[in-house]
Amino acid sequence: MTELTLKINGEEVTANVEPRLSLADYIRDHRRLTGTHLGCEHGVCGACTVLMNGEPVRSCITFAVVADGTEVTTIEGFDDDDPMAQLRQAFHENHALQCGYCTPGMLVAARDIVTRLPDADEDRVRLELAGNLCRCTGYVGIVNAILAVLEQRRA
Amino acid sequence: MADGGITGHGIGARVLRKEDRRFLEGAGRYVADVARPRILDAAIVRSPVAHARNLTVTKPVRHEQSVFTADDMAADGVKSIHVVSKFPGHKASDYPHLATGKLRFVGEAVAVCLADTRAGAEDIAVQTGLDFDALPPAIDMLSAAETGAPKVHDDWEDNVILDSLFEGNPEGLGDAAVSVTRTFRMNRQAVNPLEGAAVLAEWDARDDRLVVHSSSQIPHILKNALCECLGLRQNQVHVIAPDVGGGFGYKCVLLPEEIFIPWVAMQVKRPVRWIQDRREHLIAAANAREHHYAVTLHADTDGRFIGLEADIIVDSGAYSVYPHSNILESTMAGRTLHGPYMFSSYKVHSRAVATNKPPIVPYRGVARPGICFALELAVDAMARELGREPHDLRIQNLVPKEKMPYTTITGGEFDSGDYPEALRRSVDLIDVAAIRARQQQGEADGRLIGVGFGCYIEMTALQTSAAARAGLAAIPGYEQAHVRLTPDGGLEIGVGVQNHGQGMETTLAQVACERLGMDIEMVSIRHGDTATSPYSTGTYASRSMVMAGGAIARTCDVLGERIKSIGAHLLQSALEDVRIENARVVGPSGDVSFVEIARVWHRNPEDLPADVDPAGVEVTSGFRPSPDNSPFSYATHAAVVAVDPELGQVEILDYVISEDCGTIVNPMIVDGQILGGALQGVGTALFEESYYDDEGQPLASTFTDYSMPGPTHLANIRLDHLVTPSPLTEYGVKGLGEGGAIPPPATIANAINDALREFGVEVNETPMSPRRVRAKIAEAAG
Repeated sequence: MTELTLKINGEEVTANVEPRLSLADYIRDHRRLTGTHLGCEHGVCGACTVLMNGEPVRSCITFAVVADGTEVTTIEGFDDDDPMAQLRQAFHENHALQCGYCTPGMLVAARDIVTRLPDADEDRVRLELAGNLCRCTGYVGIVNAILAVLEQRRA
Repeated sequence: MADGGITGHGIGARVLRKEDRRFLEGAGRYVADVARPRILDAAIVRSPVAHARNLTVTKPVRHEQSVFTADDMAADGVKSIHVVSKFPGHKASDYPHLATGKLRFVGEAVAVCLADTRAGAEDIAVQTGLDFDALPPAIDMLSAAETGAPKVHDDWEDNVILDSLFEGNPEGLGDAAVSVTRTFRMNRQAVNPLEGAAVLAEWDARDDRLVVHSSSQIPHILKNALCECLGLRQNQVHVIAPDVGGGFGYKCVLLPEEIFIPWVAMQVKRPVRWIQDRREHLIAAANAREHHYAVTLHADTDGRFIGLEADIIVDSGAYSVYPHSNILESTMAGRTLHGPYMFSSYKVHSRAVATNKPPIVPYRGVARPGICFALELAVDAMARELGREPHDLRIQNLVPKEKMPYTTITGGEFDSGDYPEALRRSVDLIDVAAIRARQQQGEADGRLIGVGFGCYIEMTALQTSAAARAGLAAIPGYEQAHVRLTPDGGLEIGVGVQNHGQGMETTLAQVACERLGMDIEMVSIRHGDTATSPYSTGTYASRSMVMAGGAIARTCDVLGERIKSIGAHLLQSALEDVRIENARVVGPSGDVSFVEIARVWHRNPEDLPADVDPAGVEVTSGFRPSPDNSPFSYATHAAVVAVDPELGQVEILDYVISEDCGTIVNPMIVDGQILGGALQGVGTALFEESYYDDEGQPLASTFTDYSMPGPTHLANIRLDHLVTPSPLTEYGVKGLGEGGAIPPPATIANAINDALREFGVEVNETPMSPRRVRAKIAEAAG
């Protein structure tokens, strides 16, 4: 077992975990933060995307012990976050979700796009989203939602 | 089109989804999110080979109590799944929950291992010993169909599950002046909802029943199967399908895990869960499609279709799935290969064949993507043979509006629509004339441009008589809704269908809003729980809006009469003088709100009339189309592609869909269903393949070797709607969920073949990967 200390959604936590435990399983099964979803568990689908020190990572292929000393933000940790509030509203208005399973990872990836690339156009948004799979929407609503938030933030 | 009613929340309104909020906050509740004290995680030992006999399982020392096999289940009297069909000559087989004696595909479940974590359970699984004698497998469906092929089921005389002939006036086939013959193959792929399967089971001692959470489209059917296999009474099983992360048909069949995980939970007297991982999904469970066609299309010299002949083989895999069986696709393909066209002669032979691969499951479109691919490519081949524009030849042969309702050569009935108009509109939108001019000029980058069309019909909301003819294990009858006026004047509506992304918590509520003039905030839809919803065969076959929507409309009518009766009394008016308007009962002397009527029924019953209906303000009623026929949706898809002749890469430059799903309940959700379905169809066309080697080993077991369509693959679908209300249904709605996925493989293939026409070659197999496209071009070069 290995001890780790990290901040999750602003709360400092300490835990003893198996070295093989993934960050995703730690978040979901140990912290009971189940908004982070597992779609492939091999780093392709992006459903498990969380922020680590402000950057998106795939929690399914990140060991929990790697998060020692970091700040992790999951979908449950954005209550007071303006870009996320804008994205949630835009996802709602643009029908950017159907079954909802990819949505938390999509939102975390989208927040990274709208904050890091304020001038992104549709092609760039689609390229940046290429690490997240959605089986339901055909991506049209998701891309439109992100473009709408980019537009709002430029205004 | 309807305008959304008085409140703006009714039929036709672009209402934003009621279910979005929980998903946006990460607060959805999928099976894997459900916590239970002392829960155990399951890992499954699966077959490493495609075909073997004399299976023995050795449990690892010290873990004997944590590993369960078929022998343990048999000792407890658990029954296998056994799905037969009424079609004469159908060969039946058991689908064992855990393998017994024989192994029939790579990934078949052999043993269940339990531990406190999935990782711990997998540690036990790898220590579990398997011994068997390997057999040569039957892998390719064409050779598997032949006499002398390795037999998947030893007691069968061959691997042909069902051999069917569908005929209409076959003697007329000889009259044709022009015939084209082609072969086509739609390869196996995987369904891939982003949430895989998941089961959590526990025995609830207080309720004295088994409680099973499953990511299912059919909770009531699962309950039936649990009772039949485990020998439980109906009052001993409670099935909950919470939020379901996509289904697309995969989750409307019974999985072996849905039986053996609950059984194991009963043995260990602790909650047990199994959460399918993506590798299990890709290799062991969710295979679909895989059809082979030899098609001959006959026409006269003017281009009028005379007849259709075909020999169809469907690779059904090793077992028959409950309740839809292993012949659903072969019989549907044989009966409806005619598509939306008129034929005077028809002779189609179809066979379902067993192989040492996973059983195929229904997947969005069920058989029709293959049907459409084969027929529409044959139509384009005929157009080239006759020197006609492909769209022009289609318009000549599509069933015209004035022939509706139209009885097909195999006895089906199209209810309504204007098929040629959908095609004409897509011809205009894609601008065929401009594409032809552009082709004359050539492309600066050396790529080749092509335009293609795909027309289809989709029988939606499978009806009672059709399902009964096939002898399915689940035959849909009247769909029911339970509608309750709550003490605050709102509506709680229970339905047995299952929402898993289609937005039904919104669209079904819109039906009640339209019928009773409600504000949608006051209407809630409850589903996914056998304890609180009316019995239903569930969500599949694009049926939920037609059937559950119809049931809600009819039930609201009955409830409305009861509400009117109380309202008339409170208004001191005669019943015939009052009407319902905007959630109020309105009479000559004034009006009274549902809120007030609900208050009187629940809180002040002393004010009710003496002769009030004691059944009160809760109603269960139902709907099915009358006559017992299905509404048909249809569309034309049109695509422009650019093919790189050196790389074989295909880029979609433009994509147009002209569709008719009858009356549109919510245009935002309709568009979302079509766009999502279409990209799945693009995946079938260009990317997705579950490839097996000669030994039956699956070679696509992760998302790195199974290519899913992503955000960069198709940007610019343009949608166009025709609205022909169905005469069969409430509000004229037709089913919609699956159609988008049906014609993209045909449409894109026809566009590629148009681009390659100067080479004189045709693609004829999905996915049309760069390797396959390059091979065709190389074939032309000789």
